[in-house]
Amino acid sequence: MAEKETYFFRATDMQMVEMFLSQECAYECVKELGELGLIQFIDLEKGTNLFQRSFVPELKRADEMERRLRYLAAEINAEGIKVPIEYEIPPAPNSTATESDLETMIGTLEDELKEVKKNLTALRNSYVDLMELKQTLIAADIFFRKGSGSLWSVPTNSYSLEEGDEGGRLHFITGVIDRDKVGTFERVIWRSCRGNVFVKTVEIKDEMTDPDSGEIVEKNVFICFFQGNQLEQRVKKICDGMSCRVYPCSEKTSRRHEVRDQVSTRLAEMEDVICQTQEHRTQQLKDIAVDIRSWIVKVKKWRSIYYTMSKFNVNDTRTGFIAEGWVRTCDLENVKQALKRGATTSGSVVMPILNTVGSSMPPPTYHPTNKITKGYQVIIDAYGVATYQEINPAIFTVITFPFLFGIMFGDMAHGLFLFLFGAWFIHKESYFDLRKHLLDEIISMLYHGRYIIMMMGIFASYSGFLYNEIYSKGVDIFGSSWRMPNDDQTYTSSDSVTLDPKYDYGPPYYYGIDPMWILSENKLTYLNSYKMKLSVILGLSQMTFGLFISLSNYRYFGRVLDIWFTFIPQLIFLECIIGYMCFLIFYKWFFVDAGKSNPSILITMIDMFLSIGSGIDSDDKFYEGQELVQLCLVIIALCMVPIMFAAKPLIEKYQRNKDVADYEALSYDSDDEDLEEREKAEQAAELDIWVNQGIHTIEFCLGVISNTASYLRLWALSLAHSELSEVLWDMTMYYAFEWLDWDEGGCILLIFIFAAWAALTVSILLCMEGLSAFLHALRLHWVEFQNKFYDGNGYKFLPFSFSLILENEENLEEISAI
Amino acid sequence: MGDMTTFNIDSGYFEGLVRGYRSGILRRNDYHNLVECETLDDLKLHLQGTDYGPLLANDPSPLIVQTIDERLKERLVHEFTHIRNQCVQPLAQFLDYMTYGYMIDNIILLITGTLRNRPIAELLPRCHPLGQFDELATISIAQSPAELFNAVMVDTPLAPFFSECVQDENDLDEMNIEILRNKLYKSYLEDFYAFCKKLGGTTADVMCPILAFEADRRAITITINSFRTDLLKDDIENLYPKCGILFPEGLKYLKNAEDREEVRRICERFGPYKDLYNGVGDGPNDKTLEDKFFEEEVKMLMLSFEQQFHFGVFYAFVKLKEQENRNIVWIAECIAQKNKNKIDNYIPIF
Repeated sequence: MAEKETYFFRATDMQMVEMFLSQECAYECVKELGELGLIQFIDLEKGTNLFQRSFVPELKRADEMERRLRYLAAEINAEGIKVPIEYEIPPAPNSTATESDLETMIGTLEDELKEVKKNLTALRNSYVDLMELKQTLIAADIFFRKGSGSLWSVPTNSYSLEEGDEGGRLHFITGVIDRDKVGTFERVIWRSCRGNVFVKTVEIKDEMTDPDSGEIVEKNVFICFFQGNQLEQRVKKICDGMSCRVYPCSEKTSRRHEVRDQVSTRLAEMEDVICQTQEHRTQQLKDIAVDIRSWIVKVKKWRSIYYTMSKFNVNDTRTGFIAEGWVRTCDLENVKQALKRGATTSGSVVMPILNTVGSSMPPPTYHPTNKITKGYQVIIDAYGVATYQEINPAIFTVITFPFLFGIMFGDMAHGLFLFLFGAWFIHKESYFDLRKHLLDEIISMLYHGRYIIMMMGIFASYSGFLYNEIYSKGVDIFGSSWRMPNDDQTYTSSDSVTLDPKYDYGPPYYYGIDPMWILSENKLTYLNSYKMKLSVILGLSQMTFGLFISLSNYRYFGRVLDIWFTFIPQLIFLECIIGYMCFLIFYKWFFVDAGKSNPSILITMIDMFLSIGSGIDSDDKFYEGQELVQLCLVIIALCMVPIMFAAKPLIEKYQRNKDVADYEALSYDSDDEDLEEREKAEQAAELDIWVNQGIHTIEFCLGVISNTASYLRLWALSLAHSELSEVLWDMTMYYAFEWLDWDEGGCILLIFIFAAWAALTVSILLCMEGLSAFLHALRLHWVEFQNKFYDGNGYKFLPFSFSLILENEENLEEISAI
Repeated sequence: MGDMTTFNIDSGYFEGLVRGYRSGILRRNDYHNLVECETLDDLKLHLQGTDYGPLLANDPSPLIVQTIDERLKERLVHEFTHIRNQCVQPLAQFLDYMTYGYMIDNIILLITGTLRNRPIAELLPRCHPLGQFDELATISIAQSPAELFNAVMVDTPLAPFFSECVQDENDLDEMNIEILRNKLYKSYLEDFYAFCKKLGGTTADVMCPILAFEADRRAITITINSFRTDLLKDDIENLYPKCGILFPEGLKYLKNAEDREEVRRICERFGPYKDLYNGVGDGPNDKTLEDKFFEEEVKMLMLSFEQQFHFGVFYAFVKLKEQENRNIVWIAECIAQKNKNKIDNYIPIF
């Protein structure tokens, strides 16, 4: 029984183990352990730099392989080749021998791909060159044709007529330039040649791809006319600087056409070649795509094994390694088996040795979770990971969290939607599980909280049922217990009738709030009082429960002092004040008649403290002897404060002094200086203890009041929710039913009004209100509940496990993101 | 401007960004680890553990120093442009001012290169990417400063800095290029100084001393470099940026200085530079004046992060990151050449 409890409520038992692994079998053993994920290794080489450890060459090789794989993956991505989502996770490579096979293979593949790519780029480059030449020739046609026609452009005859006079002859350069550089180009030419060069450009209509980057670039063909050598040099320099490509172009139309035809045929030839090369490459990549995931996994595993081994201590004789780590006690046998298997596969003669050792370090915390509890465990861990073996509040949270949420979100319909949303996720679980990493942040958060959402939905519907609320309306299921004083009369909406519970109330309504209250004018007064009381009662229950958990913790850790001087005074203090208030609430519900005197609980509680011992008017009295009871309670509660504050430190001090006395009796020869220093340190430590204790006491005593007040948020949020949904109904649907004229298209208008109502219901009431209720429930758990017992100073058990490592693997995600 | 009530409206996000980048700057113990590396691959391994992360992950080993330098520069440029592309005035203008310095360097680099008949395609990749602009490549056509201005620079933001060179029809030789560079820098610094002054507030408080220091550093360097040249004293004075602490008194003395000792004496008269020459010398444990200047600068830049709501952090970040790049490249170079005698000559930042 005890063992079972430990498993369920407390972190699993941890054991520090020490392993001696011989050089031959270390790799295989770590591999086996990694597949199983049983042990959290401790870094024994913390002081050593990463690059000074053993296995740096292996790690570097792994890095290099990963780089190559990344390159391959990027190429596959760039080609848009699909990698199948589902794949089998291969085991870690068996030995270094097979690993180097993989290494050479990946290396060759990369080299091959790079070679093909280089060729392809070269081909494309010359293709683009030819393309541009062709475009230049086409554009030149336009230039020259225009030139002969329009007035302001170059007079064509100037270069054809004056052939004899070389100096006056017009020269020209044609070429291709990036479109975004045209402006600068023209400006620079104009300025540096003082307007003596005539530039004309034409846009190339076809899209050109840049062979290196694969991006689409827009280009223009330009032509520059100028006279003389100097200008020619200058223009050529500018072209050079602006990285334009200059293409030769004849001024004779026939010659140009001839070249163009040649270029066209060559282009067609090249297209074929490029196409074939491309196909070859795609096929190659497709072949790689089939295996790439398993390669990545293999390399990742290989790397992580060596990374883990670099944490080991090399023993003095350099024949083996010493490793330390945390193991769940129940897994010890499995670890032994794994080591044995590792040793057998490696054929090592020396068997690995496993010893359990003690450790001064706090062990890591491990809570086994399942699909449902995982979400709640995350919520608790977000506040702080439980200290090793203290009670794990996540177990209780599974019910209390959605329950408190439901109280604040009570509405049957809204709850149902929440439930359906969560249930849909659960239904689609297998689909989403495979695509976890593809979900965006918010969706993935919702997905991980799917069970929480579903449970919140169930509890919200349940408390909506208690509040008798569905879209702020009520339903009459069991038949109201209120009777109209005059059954024959017909009432209209403007009529107002006062019902007296003495005469008009039958047997109680079977469950929840009587639907008659929905119609009543004092609905809010009634519900507020009811919900407020409910909040306080729930608050007290949860806080008391929290205290009892702390009792269980003290017992488990054998802290007797804490039981007597922390738990018991705290419990008495809480019950004397808030417990008494809850008693009054129940007393009032059961024994105070509606007709007679109506003492207020709030006033009673205030008077209890402010006017201690004074008499109470008979009208404000709940029961006989109330003054005496209250006086006793106040005195008991106040007595608990000094006990909480002083008892524990005093007793501890007494015990310490006794220990010191014993110690001193044993050793006489300690010198004075030493003693003095020790005393000083002790005094400082003692002050610390007192301050700490003081803070804790004040915190608890104030907390009793403020935490209870904090639980009133249950009422406040629930009120806000029902009021919001009522206002929304009144502003939209009520208005539509009441005022629309049905004969004149009112029903069409109703469609739009309904749409508005539905949209606002989802966005405000479900999303916003749901979020706010969620956060408040979270706060109630983190602060009001957990501060009664939760320490939360532990750290998580993160075993060396391939599956955990692969989960965070980026490369895999990248590939499947296609 | 500089007002803490309104600063965050436009520039708060970017200050946050730049402070985030700042925390990625390597610490002393990172350097201790880097220095211990045996090969460049060790260096890569260690950089993986810092903010640089996978910076070099996609470069095949064996690494060469040049790749490291390129990657570091790429990263700095990436971070800078990330901020520049999103920010609004006046921060945008401020950041642009920072790039002008690099533009001047690039121009000078190209002119010198063409003078030595290097092809432009070979020179362009060596230009600092922060100082790139479209017209840059056409510089090679210029024969004189005036031509440079008229043909190339007139449309660039650097045009105002050419005001003193517009009439200069001298051919561009080594000497003239150096003069041109200093003239440009002088106008640039003075203009930047005035701009910061105009921004006012904390920005001016932080940036003006930094720029004043930069101006004085240039003045001192110019003086030292001019010792064995036939430059006239008045010409030298024309090159001094007039926004430093040395202006006007110190510059007057400085232009007449004849040797290093005199420069030293002049500097020691000015409070901030009193300790500048401490430990400067030619001995094995002494530092060069240049390193001393760098150290002093790093100190000032680091201090600028102590204040909030000003643009100085952007300047400081880029300059510190540059210093860090120099440090890493220096260490990498020492490792690559297996000469670790002087590996400790880097300037630690934080």
